[in-house]
This record gives sequence, C-alpha cells and structure tokens, in this order.
Amino acid sequence: MKRFVVFIALAALAAPASAATQAEAEVALAAAKQAEAEAAKYDNRWVPAEAALKAAETAVAQQAWDTAVAEANKARAMGLRAVEQSKEQETAWHDAVIR
Amino acid sequence: MSHRRTVRWLVVLAVCLFGGAASPPDSSTPAADQKAFQDYFRSRFPGVPFADFANGPYAVDAAMRKQWEEIMQFPPYDFALDEGKTAFAVKFANGKSYADCFANGGIGVRQNYPYFDTKTGDVVTLDLAINRCREANGEKPLKYGTGMMASLTAYMAETSRGKSFDIKIPDDPRAREAYEAGKQFFYTRRGQLNFSCASCHVTAAGQRMRGDILAPAIGILAAFPIYRSDWGSMGTIDRRFTTCSAQMRSVPLPPQDVAYRNLEYFLSYMGNGVPISGPGTRP
Repeated sequence: MKRFVVFIALAALAAPASAATQAEAEVALAAAKQAEAEAAKYDNRWVPAEAALKAAETAVAQQAWDTAVAEANKARAMGLRAVEQSKEQETAWHDAVIR
Repeated sequence: MSHRRTVRWLVVLAVCLFGGAASPPDSSTPAADQKAFQDYFRSRFPGVPFADFANGPYAVDAAMRKQWEEIMQFPPYDFALDEGKTAFAVKFANGKSYADCFANGGIGVRQNYPYFDTKTGDVVTLDLAINRCREANGEKPLKYGTGMMASLTAYMAETSRGKSFDIKIPDDPRAREAYEAGKQFFYTRRGQLNFSCASCHVTAAGQRMRGDILAPAIGILAAFPIYRSDWGSMGTIDRRFTTCSAQMRSVPLPPQDVAYRNLEYFLSYMGNGVPISGPGTRP
C-alpha cells in the first residue's frame, strides 16, 4: 500500500501541471485581443504580438488549448508593453528633438 | 530675512517646482526647428556640402559612393522612368491628362510636395495628388508604394532635379497641427525594438546597421522614388515608411495614412533647400 501511494504521488508530479481548458483559452484570447485593440489606438501594434495573436486564434480553431493560452498570453504581454511604451512616449519624445 | 534673500529663495523654489526633471514642452516654431535640424547635420557632417544630403548614405560614406557612381552608369530606375514618362502623357478617357491637374503641367513641381491644402485641411503628397487627379477624371486610383505610382513619381521627380525643396507651412492652425504631428511621429519610439525614425536617421546617421549605412534625415526624401537593390524594384516614400515600420517590429500603417503624410510634411520641410535628386538608387 505504501509503495502504491508513493507511486501515485510520483506519477502526479510527473504529469503536466494541468492541461488548459477551452474556457481558459478563450479567456486568454479575449484578453490578448483587448490588449492589441488598446495598442492599435496608439497606432502601435507590434509585429510579433500580432503574430502571437494569430497563432493563438489558429490554436483555438485546432482545439490546441495549451498552445492557445501560451500564444495569447504572449500577445497580451506584448500588447500591454506597447501601450505602456506609447503612453511613455507621449511626453518622452520631446527629449529627442534636435534643438 | 532681507527682501533680496526672500526673492532669491522664491526663485530657487520656482526653479525646483517648475524647472525640474520633466522636459519642457516643445514651444519652438517650424522655422526654428528647421534651423536647428539643418545646423545639427551641418556640424555632424562638416565635409558634406549641403546639397549633397540629397544623396543619402552616399554623401557620408566614400566606399558606398564609389559603388553608387558605378551603378549610375546604368541607372536601374531607367525602365521605370521611361514607363512613367509614357504614362504621364497618356490621356484619360475624358480627354484630359495628368498635366491638367498640376501647376506647370506637372513638370518641375516635385519640390513643392507635400503641401498643406487649406481647402481640404490635409497634407497632399505627390502620390495622393496623382490619385486625386485620376479620380477627379473618372479613373481608378493607382496602388500606392510601387508599380505605376513609382514610375509616374519617378518621371515627375526627374523633371524637378536640382530644384530645392520648398515646403511651406501656411498660417493655418491645421497646417501647424499637421507639422507638429509629423514631428512627433518622427521622434516617437514604437514597435518591439523601441526605435523611432530619429534613432536611425539622427542618432545613428552615417553608421552601419548590419550591411547598410543609415542615411541622415536631412534631405532623406529628395531621392524618392528609389530603386532599392534589397527590393529588386522601385518603391515610393510609402514603401520606405512601411518597410521602416516593419523593421522596427511595428505594424505598418496603410500607405498615405494621415500619420505618414504628416511625417512626410515634417521631413520635407526640414529638408528645405536640399535639391531634388530623384529618382534614386539605394542598396
């Protein structure tokens, strides 16, 4: 019995943490789209962010939920950084002007 | 505390409150901007005659200039030039032609573009004027960036060679707004690489970016449209702007987007006095 419990515990550790669900993938994709839409307001969508968003959409269509979540999270992170960059540049660009 | 001492403390306090780390808002005039811009490049490249800035990287790199001079024995834009000359003369279905849409029949006018149209309230580039001419005469607009648009602008530029950029900013708040928007675009960092136009064409002008020598921003549009070896074909300013955006890992805006036209307005105004040298060639 003891051996069996140890085996189960090891098996649980070895297995992937948890496979993403369709719901999680859709939530992640929606968040990524929102971040990209925000970046678009500043005319500052990043090329790799768009590529990651497309990859996430493709993964959702193929029901590859883990990939979808990973790509969507990547797109969201870059989208948020692009917005941050744009907000910072609203004033920072003045520093670069030739005077 | 004496009166003088009080005043001194008030001055110190005012400097701390209002003159701190934040950069001052840009309150300069376009003319002052232009002078500072041109002075900067003159002192940065003291051996380059001002008119030579029309030749971009070839003005600042002797080895590249030598290669360019050899290329120019058989200019790769010649086919486009011939095509543009022929197309320019062809009449529209209504019997009119491009010449009817432009001052001086469209000959020798490149240096005046872009201009701010006080009627429409927007910046009109040569490419946009060509398509507006076509549409006003019942023709379909041309695709921006390459192809026939590049050929037509090549011909119109060629008839303007040697004439200096003469961009005007009329006394109209909308024109000033367009100029300021173009200036902001030029200096604003964007894209994953966190680059601005100025990163390459001011800060790193004359230096290498991989195999390329970065052209100084002054007069950078004088040679357009260009035959670019990297493209293997002709390209207009739109093509260059969209390629630059993509190289910064920023999704390009549509050709002739208001932001790109404003950028062209600002850059061309900065280059006033630099002669038109287009069509040109670039690596």
